[in-house]
Amino acid sequence: MAGRGLLVLFGSQTGTAQDTAERIGRGAKRRHLRCRVEALDSCDVANLIHEPLVVFVCATTGQGDPPDNMKMFWRFLFRKNLPAGSLCQLDYAVLGLGDSSYPKFNFVAKKLHKRLLQLGGNPLLPVALGDDQHELGPDAVVDPWLVALWDKILALYPLPPGLEIISPDVRLPPKYTLRYLPEDSPQPNSDLLQPTAPRAAPCELHPFAARVLSNRRVTAQSHFQDVRLIEFDIAGSGITFSAGDVVMIQPQNCPEDVQQFCQLLRLEPHRRFVLEPTEPGTALPPLLPQPCTVQYLVTHYLDISCVPRRSFFELLASFSTNELEREKLQEFSSAQGQEELYSYCNRPRRTTLEALWDFPHTTCAVPADYLLDLIPRIRPRAFSIASSLLAHPERMQILVAVVRYRTRLSKPRRGLCSTWLASLNPEQGDVRVPLWVKKGGMKFPADPATPVIMIGPGTGVAPFRAAIQERVALGRRGNCLFFGCRYKSKDFYCQTEWEELVTKGLLTLFTAFSRDQEEKVYVQHRIRENGRLVWELLSSGNAHVYLAG
Amino acid sequence: MGEYGVAPGQRVAIVWDSSSPVEALKGLVDKVQALVGADNRVSVENVNQLPQSAHKESSFDVILSGMVPGSTAQHSVELLAEVARILKPGGRVLLKEPVVTESGNNGKIKTAAKLLTTLTLSGLVEVKELQKEALTPEEAQSVGEHLGYQGNDLLIIQIEGRKPNFEVGSSSQLKLSFAKTPGPSGKPSVDPAAAKLWTLSANDMNDEEMDLLDSDELLDSEDLKKPDPSSLRAPSCKEMGKKKACKNCTCGLAEELEQEKKKSSQPKSACGNCYLGDAFRCASCPYLGMPAFKPGEKILLQENQLHDA
Repeated sequence: MAGRGLLVLFGSQTGTAQDTAERIGRGAKRRHLRCRVEALDSCDVANLIHEPLVVFVCATTGQGDPPDNMKMFWRFLFRKNLPAGSLCQLDYAVLGLGDSSYPKFNFVAKKLHKRLLQLGGNPLLPVALGDDQHELGPDAVVDPWLVALWDKILALYPLPPGLEIISPDVRLPPKYTLRYLPEDSPQPNSDLLQPTAPRAAPCELHPFAARVLSNRRVTAQSHFQDVRLIEFDIAGSGITFSAGDVVMIQPQNCPEDVQQFCQLLRLEPHRRFVLEPTEPGTALPPLLPQPCTVQYLVTHYLDISCVPRRSFFELLASFSTNELEREKLQEFSSAQGQEELYSYCNRPRRTTLEALWDFPHTTCAVPADYLLDLIPRIRPRAFSIASSLLAHPERMQILVAVVRYRTRLSKPRRGLCSTWLASLNPEQGDVRVPLWVKKGGMKFPADPATPVIMIGPGTGVAPFRAAIQERVALGRRGNCLFFGCRYKSKDFYCQTEWEELVTKGLLTLFTAFSRDQEEKVYVQHRIRENGRLVWELLSSGNAHVYLAG
Repeated sequence: MGEYGVAPGQRVAIVWDSSSPVEALKGLVDKVQALVGADNRVSVENVNQLPQSAHKESSFDVILSGMVPGSTAQHSVELLAEVARILKPGGRVLLKEPVVTESGNNGKIKTAAKLLTTLTLSGLVEVKELQKEALTPEEAQSVGEHLGYQGNDLLIIQIEGRKPNFEVGSSSQLKLSFAKTPGPSGKPSVDPAAAKLWTLSANDMNDEEMDLLDSDELLDSEDLKKPDPSSLRAPSCKEMGKKKACKNCTCGLAEELEQEKKKSSQPKSACGNCYLGDAFRCASCPYLGMPAFKPGEKILLQENQLHDA
């Protein structure tokens, strides 16, 4: 292999592994190594046998599962027919990101490390296991591991003579240059979320713009929590789903935040631009039309409400001309400053926009080229589908609890997606939501005689509503639901639906209203009270039990 | 090495049973003691007492069993397992036992072959038959008395065995990689057949029918362990985080902190006034949690903000 090169492959669910992979990529650039950073499912796996040096950064999600963007790779890796010595050319290192409060802590990284070893790969380091449960989060493991990794890599591929490691003070070039188009170029079609022609099932790169038909609050106005039942029109989308499946929704930022952000960064929202990669071969960002308006970029793409990461402060520091601000930003990006950073950002859940507000002399100096390096893409949110196509063909319904809570910040914290969905009013015109469907983890029994016990407090009842609608349509009667909420009169949503089914003998319903009486009553109390019935369903009926919420 | 393969300084155990004449036993003990030197390196054990004595494992270099002239001691698997346990790795056992030439009706006395396998089954290696000899009339009589065997096809066999050179519970890594001649980059070159298979498989990414390994099988007990909670704490952990004073602090916090810290290793956090935003405010600032505001702008704290969070 001529030249010094590193391939960084990541599997990331919430963006943390991707951010870490990009951090490694920047470190490689500073050491004059050619570097590519790619998601595992996007890389050409056939070529892996020829790669000499690969670093894997893999999160573990769900129940010890690989993230969505490495699922295909995962299935490939464990094929029995892969020969044992295939990866004999490969030097590798695996960094895992996980949470040790889960039993299958970092299973993906552990298994990957062992499988690569089995296939003949040569590990440079033992597998590193980042842990969310550590007081300083995964960085407590990542920082020292990176030091060791660079030592090993530079030992294998020393710096060319005459070259030094690029100092952290020197800013690396951005991934893309942003070229504004002249102000008088023709306006694009302003409705960028046109319904697309039907194709193969919609996915993350090609979501379906579903029209919102209704958005109804199902909790009492006096109740502290706002829960919505939202219905989408999915006719002509090619979308099918069954009970237990999950819908992914791509949210957007609210107009006030977009306006504030543009003001802070001195951006003109109506200007159009195109992006050009600075390094040939870099793909353009997905889901961003070209050309694009600044308004669109900030509304649909830049995640300005996410909690900023360390890499954000590192890059921001490099733009600062104000000594006070620069010092603070550098502190937040240093290893010693991580506790401060956690206290400033993570614990109070401060948003990127709010953090930018604290650094006015720096934000006005951020070049537009660096926007996509500075701020990550908005990630889709998952919701259990709460209706069945058998009961409501060409429709999809979801139950959304609007996320709103307080931290020590004076402004309450809001969930990006839930707040946006709650704000949609179908009566004000054609309102559309980009979405696609993912297979869920719950499978309901194929045998019609098998009864089903469902335990779903709060919005956990959503997939069970889908299952019950589906089973009732198929004539299956063995449906037993344990539902819990706080007040019968305030958040007992779907009450009329359940009561109708109970009257018809199609549903056995047990409810637990935790605050309707002095002592707390939860679903587990109801299960115990009805132990005999539950036991009979289990032992003679072979009932399947489901738990969500 | 002296007789019995015993060298000076070694620890030796001599195992005897009731069939051994007492003088002969004493004679053997003295002989061995002379070989190893003084210092109580010779232990003498009755064959029935050996398991109860519970010697420390791997404590003897040599064990002699049934070596007392006239002994008709028989060695069971259990006895030999105990012998193997208390032998040091690489240690040696030397034993004598009467054997029959053919497996006859009397199951009590083993054949030579059976005795050899008994040693192997107890965990001894390099089991070798050293010699066979015919019984003296006294020995034949002794066998008749102790073992109740009258036949005249008996032999006394002398066997040695060794404890393997590793300790129980030790591990070593199997080298599974099949080293090929390295290519120009210093690494083994990929076997073309393997490369072909890999590529073929990779070009078939959507094939759902492929047989998959169970990935759970790759994990061992170490992998299933959770990290120790004490390892999850930050090295300099404080409950509420460091307290910092503003640059021009007027509330007295600065003096307090000055007295607390001895060395000036505190990070140079340039702290401005309260209007600058949470990033710059000190821990006791009443405006914590509020956004930055323009200097000179009068901010009224709302009622709910004056209470403890």
